[in-house]
Amino acid sequence: MLEIEKQQALVKILKEKVNKQLLYYLDVCARCAICRDACHQYKTTKDYKYIPAYRAELIRRLYKKYFSVLGRIFPKLYESRAVDDEILLDELYQVTYACTGCRRCMYYCPFSIDTTHILSVAKALLVAAGRENQMLRELADASIMKGENIDMFKDIFISIIKESEPELREKTGDPQAEIPIDKEGAEVLYVALSGMHSIMPAAVILNKAKVNWTLSMFEAANYGYFLGDSARAKKIADRIVEEAKRLKVKEVIITECGHAYRVMNFFYEAWAREKPPFKVTALVDAIYGFIKDGKIQVKSNAVKEIVTYHDPCQVGRNGGFFEEPRYVVSSIAQNFKDLNPNRTKAWCCGGGGGLVAIPELEEFRLKTGKLKADQIKETGAKIIVSPCENCRLQLDSLNIKYELGIEIKSLMEFVADNIVV
Amino acid sequence: MNMDPFSFIVAILVYVAVIVFIVGMTFRIIVWVKAPRMQISLGMFPKPKNKFVRFFKILKDSFLFPQAIEVDKWMWIFAILFHLALLVALAGHFRLIKEFTFISNIIGQQNLNTLGAVGGGTVGIIMIFALIYYLLRRFSSPYKEISVPEDFILIILLAAIIGLGDHMRFFGNIHTDEYRKYFVSILLFRPAFPESLVGSPTRWVLSWHVLSVDLFVIYFPFSKLVHAIGTFFANKVRSE
Repeated sequence: MLEIEKQQALVKILKEKVNKQLLYYLDVCARCAICRDACHQYKTTKDYKYIPAYRAELIRRLYKKYFSVLGRIFPKLYESRAVDDEILLDELYQVTYACTGCRRCMYYCPFSIDTTHILSVAKALLVAAGRENQMLRELADASIMKGENIDMFKDIFISIIKESEPELREKTGDPQAEIPIDKEGAEVLYVALSGMHSIMPAAVILNKAKVNWTLSMFEAANYGYFLGDSARAKKIADRIVEEAKRLKVKEVIITECGHAYRVMNFFYEAWAREKPPFKVTALVDAIYGFIKDGKIQVKSNAVKEIVTYHDPCQVGRNGGFFEEPRYVVSSIAQNFKDLNPNRTKAWCCGGGGGLVAIPELEEFRLKTGKLKADQIKETGAKIIVSPCENCRLQLDSLNIKYELGIEIKSLMEFVADNIVV
Repeated sequence: MNMDPFSFIVAILVYVAVIVFIVGMTFRIIVWVKAPRMQISLGMFPKPKNKFVRFFKILKDSFLFPQAIEVDKWMWIFAILFHLALLVALAGHFRLIKEFTFISNIIGQQNLNTLGAVGGGTVGIIMIFALIYYLLRRFSSPYKEISVPEDFILIILLAAIIGLGDHMRFFGNIHTDEYRKYFVSILLFRPAFPESLVGSPTRWVLSWHVLSVDLFVIYFPFSKLVHAIGTFFANKVRSE
């Protein structure tokens, strides 16, 4: 049992989270369960707890307890539950942090119920109840800590980046090429992930496209968002927003990271209650623009093997880029073959929503990623391109587990490898 | 006063049901409208290009939800059949206010009666089969585990309404004109049975049919049935 104050705090959070969308979703669901087979997690586990309608039902039970007249008069009949219901909270934890947020169920639902939105309320409640995912919280706190102590990290970061400049000069054939950091007056701030794999290929492309850019000292990934804690998520995003404001850039390009682009382009506005004073572009879109406008040239038909493309949920269905990455891949690959189904109907890789960072869910994500593995096998592709770090890490795991014998590449890597110097 | 107490209460309950429905739905819609809107649009891509396209997409998603065929063909078929039949049955009940003279003038009264019998009978049977499907589905895994009492209550209420309606359609010798007299008497706030119904056992079927409808209409604003209106709001979010 939770103490009274804590219960009241949870009810308050539930009340704050009630908005139009949530009400529609909680009120209209007919539990028809058409969403059943839309979810890769139910389809591979056959556990009813993973049916999107059931996940939403858990939140509906809490909602009925506090906001529905009938739920209060007939708690048994309406199965309404109090926020201190341990069994409910445990189940809520299980199904909420397992959800990858792919929103495939929303696509198939007759009422377009956004289960991920409902589960964002679940996450806020779990965080307030002190039942959030520990791993995601630690990662989020580490990001915040880095933001607060950037002076400690700055010199090491710069020296590591400078060490890799010779490689960049070799790759671009430009002896002047560099990776600018903290450059005031730059037009573009490029936000990468931790690790050179997301910096070097982008540096090659941005230099070849002659963009006046600078590299962010922070990584794009936002574990606060996965955790479902908007206060932490905002703090993490603030690091980048503050940096962009300080350097007075006009545009922020977010690396190939599904949720990071959405956080900056959509969610930040909701958390901060103001639009950031710069344009937010996804790297996928920027690369597409460079090739289309002739700012960079790629070797057409340079790759002869079958190449396929995995639509990251946050880039495709939830981010809006379907044709841009395909245009880029097709301009390099001779044999491009789509997965089936693809685009809006694409299966989630199984590792989204921060799942790849949660050790206790490793077995689960490998099991539920089987659909993706089967899809890849079906194409006979040797290379799979996907512009999302989360997806690529999961695809790496699937590659080993299901012996796919496939090479996994980010879009920027695929382009940088085949760029005309 | 030619009504037995039960039938009289059922008829009076019609007024209660209408009031509860109007007040309840108004309350529900006010709650929806007053709730804060999220500042950001979390629709799904690809989004409709303009307002015009969006309007038709919302209608298509709400009335046809074509994407559901791919994941759950049978549920889609029964859902569409059920709702379509419900709509036809509802439209047919307008004969109880005023005879469809615009049809009988063209095809004749006899043919209209036949059309009503065949059409009404067909949709009545379709709805019964759809309800059997719904119920069997609710009783089987994994749907059983995610169902709540409300789901069963509604199926039972619908089964009562439709079963009794079908009974009146297929058995007995009371026809539309007699039912119209009963219905109009309620509309005029003077509930009464026509002579033909007073001595007929069919009046029990009629009263139980109307009672089930009363309960259904009263329950409407407080149940998942609000999806009939909410679907447009929810599907709009998808396209924004």
